[in-house]
Amino acid sequence: MALWGFYARNLDEVLHLVGQHLYLVTVSTALAIVLGLPLGVLLTRRPAWRTPVLGLANVLQTIPSLALFGFLIPLPFIGGIGATTAIVALVVYALLPIVRNTYTGIAAVDPAVREAARGMGMTDWQLLTQVELPLGGAVILAGVRVATVVSVGTATIAAAIGAGGLGVYIFRGVAVVDDTLILAGALPAALMALAADGLFGLAERRFTWRAG
Amino acid sequence: MAGRVIHGPALGWFAGAWRWLVTAPLLLLACCQHRDRIIVGSKNFTESDLLGEIVAQQIERRTGLRAERRFHLGGTFVCHQAITSGQIDLYVEYTGTAYTAVLKLPLLKEPDSLRRTVATEYARRFDLVWGTPFGFNNSFAILVRRADAERHGLRRISQLASLAPRWHAGFGYEFLERADGFPGLARLYGLRFAAPPTAMDLGLTYRALADGKVDVIAGNSTDGQVAALGLVALDDDRGYFPPYQAAPVVRARTLAAHPTLGAVLNELGGRISDTEMRRLNALADVEHRDIATVARTWLADHVP
Repeated sequence: MALWGFYARNLDEVLHLVGQHLYLVTVSTALAIVLGLPLGVLLTRRPAWRTPVLGLANVLQTIPSLALFGFLIPLPFIGGIGATTAIVALVVYALLPIVRNTYTGIAAVDPAVREAARGMGMTDWQLLTQVELPLGGAVILAGVRVATVVSVGTATIAAAIGAGGLGVYIFRGVAVVDDTLILAGALPAALMALAADGLFGLAERRFTWRAG
Repeated sequence: MAGRVIHGPALGWFAGAWRWLVTAPLLLLACCQHRDRIIVGSKNFTESDLLGEIVAQQIERRTGLRAERRFHLGGTFVCHQAITSGQIDLYVEYTGTAYTAVLKLPLLKEPDSLRRTVATEYARRFDLVWGTPFGFNNSFAILVRRADAERHGLRRISQLASLAPRWHAGFGYEFLERADGFPGLARLYGLRFAAPPTAMDLGLTYRALADGKVDVIAGNSTDGQVAALGLVALDDDRGYFPPYQAAPVVRARTLAAHPTLGAVLNELGGRISDTEMRRLNALADVEHRDIATVARTWLADHVP
């Protein structure tokens, strides 16, 4: 098949692009967790913030990537052309599932359990780390799982802002009307998404056992 | 109880809507077979949308057929797939693009023989017919900021060679990949930039140049934004770029079903000059006028 021939001839480039893709997804998802998890917890403590924050995350989700890049290009530090801008966009898109699932996971904890924990004299921090996070963990992890899998697909748009990744093949293929090139980018991205989904699936099951 | 009463019909409605969601695309596909409408496509940039709208309105006012618009499809690739599979009946394509990107033939600079080859090959391979070109040539344009051009007295691409080692370039994928794109240009003019050109989305290259993130980009010569963003196009003084004449491409089967269609489309032939196309693009892109209105006004004024 033409595709295998293409991979054989361009092995170095393929590996380089796969590496760039993994880098974009890993860094952006990690940042989204670092930002999204505390934000989700905060929403359970400040119910009034819930609607505006989730609303904003929803709105950010709907901005087309090219429009977002357009806004980001002139900005210092988080803008310009290259990996930084792509990562900022990917973080923006990954926030919603993480924030929402963190909130939902914790909010769904049985109030009686929470009361019991408070009755035992737990501080707010202890309640969070020893009761709420472990019990809501599966739901939170599901949010991270969705964010990661979606990021693998979304990261192909990084190629539109000079950040590389597997999208390079897709953009090139679309530009020169070449199915093989498009597949050369889309296939590894799809496999990567499946692998990420599988890994998180395992982690989730493990988590559910332990929590149960 | 009350909840259940409301729930029943609501669920029924939902199931009904769901069935529609499934059948609607199938019905849409079936519509393509309809004989009383022409489906006009366009590529994903303003000029293509504008020309698609002009063609659609021309069909509607001259033939009484309904023109269905499927605009802003994802570039040459998608439009070509759509027309060869019969999802659209016609769209506006450029001779040079068809020649190099679709037919993948080696470079040819002479406009008329290029157009003849494209027309022959399209008829033979895809059963598609090329109409008379609109008249303008939308070539690639090597663009720099006006301030840079003035500081260095830069007017021709050949003058770029000495500045290139200190400059950065950002190009769209199409320009980087095509046989008539960057590699050949760099070879002919001896261009060597400070770093390999950044590959990015074509639309974003304009922003990147205007904001000083790169120093050279390749845009379209009929683009309306060039003047508005304070950019200038350098003269292709060694004649690198082949001609890109825009013309409607139509399915032969559609033309056979509607015998008047060919003449109606060819009435637009030769009516749009380079300057005129740039003006129309600027109306849409810079002044943000509605494309349908721009097309209607233009048709009323120029093809009464």
